Amino acid sequence: MNEKLALSDEILLSISKPERYIGGEVNSAVKDLSNIKIRFAFCFPDVYEIGMSHLGIQILYGLFNEYDDVWCERVFSPWSDMDSVMRENNIPLFALESQDPIKNFDFLGFTLQYEMCYTNILQVLDLSGVPIYTKDRTWDDPIVIGGGPCSYNPEPIADFFDLFYIGEGETKYRELFDLYEKSKEEGISREEFLYRCSQIDGIYVPSLYEISYKEDGTIESITTLRENVPAVVKKELCLDLTNAYYPMKPVMPFIRVTQDRVVMEVMRGCIRGCRFCQAGQLYRPLRERDVKTLKEYAITLLKNTGYEEISLSSLSTSDYTGLNELLEFLIDYCNEHKVNISLPSLRIDAFSLDVMSKVQDVKKSSLTFAPEAGSQRMRNVINKGLTEEDILRGAHEAFLGGWNKVKLYFMLGLPGETTEDIEGIGDIANKIAVEYFETVPKEKRNGRTIEITASTSFFVPKPFTPFQWASMNTKEEFLDKASITRKGIMSQLNQKHIKYNWHEADASMLEGILARGDRKLSTVIYNVYKRGCIFDAWSEHFKNDIWLEELEKAGLDPMFYVKRERTKDEILPWDMLDCGVSKEFLWREWETSKQAKVSPNCRQSCMGCGGANYGVGICFQPKTGV
Amino acid sequence: MKKLRLKFSKHGPIRFLGHLDVMRYVQKAIRRAEIDIKYSEGYSPHQILSFAQPLSVGSTTDGDYMDMTVLSCDSIQSVMDALNGAMNEGIEILAITELPEKCENAMTSVSAAEYVISFREGKEPKFDLSETFSRFMAQAEIPAVKKTKNGEKTIDIKPLIYNYEILDGNKIHVLLSAGSSSNLKAALLTESLFAFAGEEMKEFAAKFNRLETYLSGDDDKGHYVQPMIPEKMSEVSFASADGVSQGKIYV
Repeated sequence: MNEKLALSDEILLSISKPERYIGGEVNSAVKDLSNIKIRFAFCFPDVYEIGMSHLGIQILYGLFNEYDDVWCERVFSPWSDMDSVMRENNIPLFALESQDPIKNFDFLGFTLQYEMCYTNILQVLDLSGVPIYTKDRTWDDPIVIGGGPCSYNPEPIADFFDLFYIGEGETKYRELFDLYEKSKEEGISREEFLYRCSQIDGIYVPSLYEISYKEDGTIESITTLRENVPAVVKKELCLDLTNAYYPMKPVMPFIRVTQDRVVMEVMRGCIRGCRFCQAGQLYRPLRERDVKTLKEYAITLLKNTGYEEISLSSLSTSDYTGLNELLEFLIDYCNEHKVNISLPSLRIDAFSLDVMSKVQDVKKSSLTFAPEAGSQRMRNVINKGLTEEDILRGAHEAFLGGWNKVKLYFMLGLPGETTEDIEGIGDIANKIAVEYFETVPKEKRNGRTIEITASTSFFVPKPFTPFQWASMNTKEEFLDKASITRKGIMSQLNQKHIKYNWHEADASMLEGILARGDRKLSTVIYNVYKRGCIFDAWSEHFKNDIWLEELEKAGLDPMFYVKRERTKDEILPWDMLDCGVSKEFLWREWETSKQAKVSPNCRQSCMGCGGANYGVGICFQPKTGV
Repeated sequence: MKKLRLKFSKHGPIRFLGHLDVMRYVQKAIRRAEIDIKYSEGYSPHQILSFAQPLSVGSTTDGDYMDMTVLSCDSIQSVMDALNGAMNEGIEILAITELPEKCENAMTSVSAAEYVISFREGKEPKFDLSETFSRFMAQAEIPAVKKTKNGEKTIDIKPLIYNYEILDGNKIHVLLSAGSSSNLKAALLTESLFAFAGEEMKEFAAKFNRLETYLSGDDDKGHYVQPMIPEKMSEVSFASADGVSQGKIYV
């Protein structure tokens, strides 16, 4: 039996959730080191329970471990109690499977899912004993590579990374591993290796690009430093999703994690084109998995894991063309095998309500609508197709079906937002309550009543969206808007049935700075880390004052990143990257949004975003017309 | 339909799992092993599965138990084999037996547990274990400070220690009352011993391995405890225990 643990019994017994650090989970990969040429440490820079809920890590972990010469292991951010213990006792950060120090690995890969994890990256590097800056690393250190949504503007963290992988991980890692093995055999320098990496499609080597700035702080030019380094690195895309690798034996955490179920990705990409949504652009074009394959996957995944729940994952599962057939099959199979079906991101309509009534306890579950904006005008601005009529019709059907809990999600601070748009939030919540009272007569309520929860988050413009040029609201504006929303709800006839939640504004501001930030921010990130900032995504750990102080010390104005509307000719920090959607298309969408006009989705008609260049997916299917 | 009792061991890193996580782990293993376990009725059915006695995080065991009800199986041995095949190293099913239909479940029938308490390197007691333990047991009452929801309270643990011996001069082998009515944790016994010896116990000094879990009964010779699967018992070898047959120890 493997008794090897990096931590002593005394430490494991004195910290919270020791199961985060012991490895050994069912389906985790243990390999014989004598056959291994590449040791890859895959890091989700947040706590174990969050990281282990992420599908991407399961896919790449499984894929890498299919290779005989590669052993991929996992590492997560040690929680704050463990962080202190490791520093006090000089314990180097280790990978879960082998419990060996990260420092000895060939690669250290980070998946970058949200901006607020940036200080955690430095924590992982620091605890591993790996130099923070790429310029200070030698062959004694792992190659530090990043991927995932935030790698589409990696500039604030560019100085900390050797490489970024732009796009979907299924395609180019084998080529990268082969190059690594060859380079090691040849004995070339690390610098030369990084240069050769830049010749692989989808690999961005930030140290090979120099950024110069104008006096006003915007970018003067982006220059490549060596011959043949691509001026623009284009996103990698998995062309055949049905036949792509999918992890049939996902690692199963001992502890209850956020996503405690089988996750089956039914498709990748989205036809909708909501203008605030980054994922909707990054994963274009939409590609579906074959329904027959998914039926087989479901059975195998459930058998291999023993999970009692399966979740269908995608950006908008209602748009999956085989959904009806897949659900019919799953409902039969899952009833027989005592498995629950979880259906996030389903649009509420007669079909989905029928399905949900078969797989959920109606009395306990709530309906979720994401109108995202309070008025139709604003919903047109953001290209969210959902109308008030859709919502009220869905709610009506749901109330007839026995539901009485409704959750509503909105954003505040959308471009061009007016007080009327914001007040619309209270109106729509009230109309839903009215709909309930009209639909369900008193004698049928059985002592229950309508419960509406409206939540608002603050809009943060993201790169590679039509709103990448937009002005973001300031903290004061956000809080004013939350206050207008609250008053709007309080003035409603049915206000006692409506609960209102809003997010903190400070964290949204920082997210806004980092999302569209440039390389000048790396010093700030390093300095706040040195002053103790980690787990910024956790409100109890987030230290806004330190961030503001360090921004000021570095001579950087938060408003430059947040409030400033960008012009068409401005060089954006992420202009050396190409997510497959053209800048011209995004600008057209930005202009259309200003006229409060919607654009058709990819199934109705092609808007010429550029995704068709990949030659696959929705772009090559017949259109239904508008 | 069969009611089954399974004996299992737990060693290695998996000892750091909390009791609820061990249960979740076993529940999923049962599903992977495709054991035809019975589920409860209702909207969110759960497996008919119960564990005899929780084990504290960090402790190991060679004699823990769970009960489950299966709707069908080829043989009880096949259930044990399938389950062992579906689990990682760490937890192993050691024995299985079929229970009579009317039988108290594992949790309510526990009445004693046997442990070996050893000490981590550098944290061993400085006092002579054999000599001190004899004096400790010779007290008319053995006080121990038990932490409860309402603060601390001192109880007499002497009646809860059924049997004891010192092994190799450095390990304590004990049979302690267990179960819902009067449970004595091995950790509490150890703390009480150190307090008696007037020595401060270092943090995490003691290691606990549970050897066996017992239920109780009465026969013409008196009140006894007996391993929950008597015919598959690990060797019970208290020097002072007499008349042992089928693992019965009279207390």
